[in-house]
Amino acid sequence: MNTVDPLITDTASRFFADTCTHDAIQRAEDMGGAPALWAAFAQTGFPWVSLPQECGGSGGTLVDALEILRLVGYYAAPVPAAETGMLGGWLLSQADLALPEGIVTVVPGNTRDTIALNTDGSVSGVAHMVPWGRSAEQLVFLDDQQVVSVNVTDAEVQPHPSLAGEPRDTLVFNRAPAQVGAAPDSVNAISFRLRGALSRVALMAGAIEKMSQLTVTYTNERHQFGRPVAKFQAVQQHLVWAAQDAALTRMAAEVAGLGAQDGDAAFEIASAKLVANQAATRATKAAHQAHGAMGMTQEYPLHHYSRRLWTWRSEYGGVQEWARWVGDLAVGQGADGLYPLIASGSSSG
Amino acid sequence: MRFTPTQLGDAELELQREVRAFLAQELPPGSHQPGLGMSARADRAFSAKMAERGWVGMSLPKQWGGSDRSAVDRFIVVEEMLRWGAPVGHHWVADRQTGNVILKFGTDEQRKRFLPAICRGELGFSIGMSEPDSGSDLASVSMRAERGDGGWIVNGTKIWTSGAHQNDWFICLLRTHPLEEGGSKHQGLSQMLVDLNSPGLDIGPIPFLNGEHHFNEVAFTDVFVPDENVVGEPGMGWNQNTAEMAYERGGPDRWLSPFSTVEQLLREVEGTEMEQRACELFGELTARWWALRNLSLSVARLIDEGEAPSVESALVKEMGTRFELEVIEKLVEFVDEELTPDADSLFHRLLAECVLTGPGNTIRGGTIEILRSVAAKGLEGLPA
Ligand SMILES: Cc1cc2nc3c(=O)[nH]c(=O)nc-3n(C[C@H](O)[C@H](O)[C@H](O)COP(=O)(O)OP(=O)(O)OC[C@H]3O[C@@H](n4cnc5c(N)ncnc54)[C@H](O)[C@@H]3O)c2cc1C
Repeated sequence: MNTVDPLITDTASRFFADTCTHDAIQRAEDMGGAPALWAAFAQTGFPWVSLPQECGGSGGTLVDALEILRLVGYYAAPVPAAETGMLGGWLLSQADLALPEGIVTVVPGNTRDTIALNTDGSVSGVAHMVPWGRSAEQLVFLDDQQVVSVNVTDAEVQPHPSLAGEPRDTLVFNRAPAQVGAAPDSVNAISFRLRGALSRVALMAGAIEKMSQLTVTYTNERHQFGRPVAKFQAVQQHLVWAAQDAALTRMAAEVAGLGAQDGDAAFEIASAKLVANQAATRATKAAHQAHGAMGMTQEYPLHHYSRRLWTWRSEYGGVQEWARWVGDLAVGQGADGLYPLIASGSSSG
Repeated sequence: MRFTPTQLGDAELELQREVRAFLAQELPPGSHQPGLGMSARADRAFSAKMAERGWVGMSLPKQWGGSDRSAVDRFIVVEEMLRWGAPVGHHWVADRQTGNVILKFGTDEQRKRFLPAICRGELGFSIGMSEPDSGSDLASVSMRAERGDGGWIVNGTKIWTSGAHQNDWFICLLRTHPLEEGGSKHQGLSQMLVDLNSPGLDIGPIPFLNGEHHFNEVAFTDVFVPDENVVGEPGMGWNQNTAEMAYERGGPDRWLSPFSTVEQLLREVEGTEMEQRACELFGELTARWWALRNLSLSVARLIDEGEAPSVESALVKEMGTRFELEVIEKLVEFVDEELTPDADSLFHRLLAECVLTGPGNTIRGGTIEILRSVAAKGLEGLPA
């Protein structure tokens, strides 16, 4: 089993703990970005982990990249790590296109999108909900089997916030010059969607874990009726349920990540996103309830995690989409294959 | 607290194949009425067949008739048996916990007497913890043992005793030393092995809500228990009992009970217009089972690494049994019509049984409320 290089966990944890203070995260939200934080993050090379060095990446495995994303979620780091690395960077490197120095973002795929490659090789149309669109250097998307990259300076940018106040912008292009590269068969709309879902699951695993820990600490410090509220069984129920969802999501994220390292892991990723979406809903509810009014303030950090979770749970597929996906696989296996699917996932029958 | 993902190795996958082949041969799908997880029927012949393959008491040492297999190996056998709805009731308790208690706290003489017979699938055990006035507050048990000639004279009543009417032995928690003024109720308790055929034992059924005979009341009137049947140090039973409960938690028996029902639903809707309607439901349940199974498997791996993951087990059991009830609720919503226990459809019959027996899942072996207290204590030390 391919495990994470502990050095990555250590170094990235230290980096985020130092830089992603409560104030820094809040400031990034107010300003719609965190250029200095990004510059420092880029210095470490972490955004490009798992991308081949020949293309300008940092090397390392997908599991390493997912560990960094888990920590981005754990520290609510306001950086487009997934977009620059395992999503946009991946598309570019798969098509042998060079990685730019700056932020790369992607078209996540929204039913209202009209962005497309014109016959003359330029790009026109609209892309919605583009993460950090306003700060990106390049926007990358798949058009059939072609990886297309455009400079964001050629777009009209309409800024929009996510529920967490992070940029999810609308980008409008009109005959913008583009770079185009052929994608291998394994890079297609489905594999991109799965990869997007996997990136969100890793982020969510970190955020739920941090939220669960915050809740344990807060409820042990907050006293009412002469004792810590964590001593009340009704509150303990929230603590236990949040901890379970943290464990469940992290396990799902890690098993899916390990699977994706060696194969398409479609079953694992689809299941993990479904489980994570539902866990996020339950855990944010429990954590908020246990925090009382304090959790509703901007001053207290709970919202950095809960609002990100509410954002990520709907990105790259909500509960219905993935339930249908896993359901199709399950029904396709038939009754005798159902348990083997649960026990062995993509490597079953 | 950390659940680390783990995969089955080649030898473990081989074991899984063997168990599946055995089940396909013994109980071809569709040929038997599956049980609901650990509540499956008791069938001495089936237990003996499993034992022939070394699958009962498999984690016990070879010296005592076991196979020296790991907790993960046992997990593999148990999950396959339960998801198949195999009749594991006869050896269930002995295999899951009593064998381990005797190995850990018993004398060599007791190990010789009981363990090989457990591993042959012969001995069925019942659990004698609960009493009419002692449920969650188990340390308050009032069954008493007084010194007699070469043993103890026991009086009192155990209740909710699953399978006492079918099993051979009973492992009881009782008081051997009177509670001292101001002393701890955890002191002075002992565990004893009681022959269910002992004179003075009166075993009476307590019919389940649906009339089934599952559990019993067992009244003791001057029952003689010889010294050689006391497990461990007299008076130290509480710690042993706590160790025993840890074996009850976090395994596949805590999340697989309604699986055979869901599998049967798929069998019955395959190729019909219902199949598409059920698709998202199957997706949701399959994904959750997959994630829960990975957690539960990682607990077994921790045990093999010499850890005592009691908080992790409590978290998994609390979550697993609640999930079982959620599955049943979702199935009921999906079916959306009258259920009867004697329906033509096997799926409907199983679902009716799930509905009627489901509430016990989050109660037996420690209620989810008690498990939350156990788990919450373990969370206190978490970093933030
Ligand atoms: C199907 C089935 C099979 C069983 N088989 C056996 C068996 O073979 N042998 C055996 O010994 N026992 C057996 N039991 C009994 C089982 O162990 C007890 O039911 C269980 O420990 C709870 O005890 P109780 O039923 O007395 O509930 P009580 O302890 O009376 O609890 C009632 C309610 O109060 C809650 N409660 C109690 N104390 C607290 C507290 N401190 N904090 C919060 N909530 C609390 C409980 O969670 C529950 O919701 C079986 C039970 C079932 C349902």
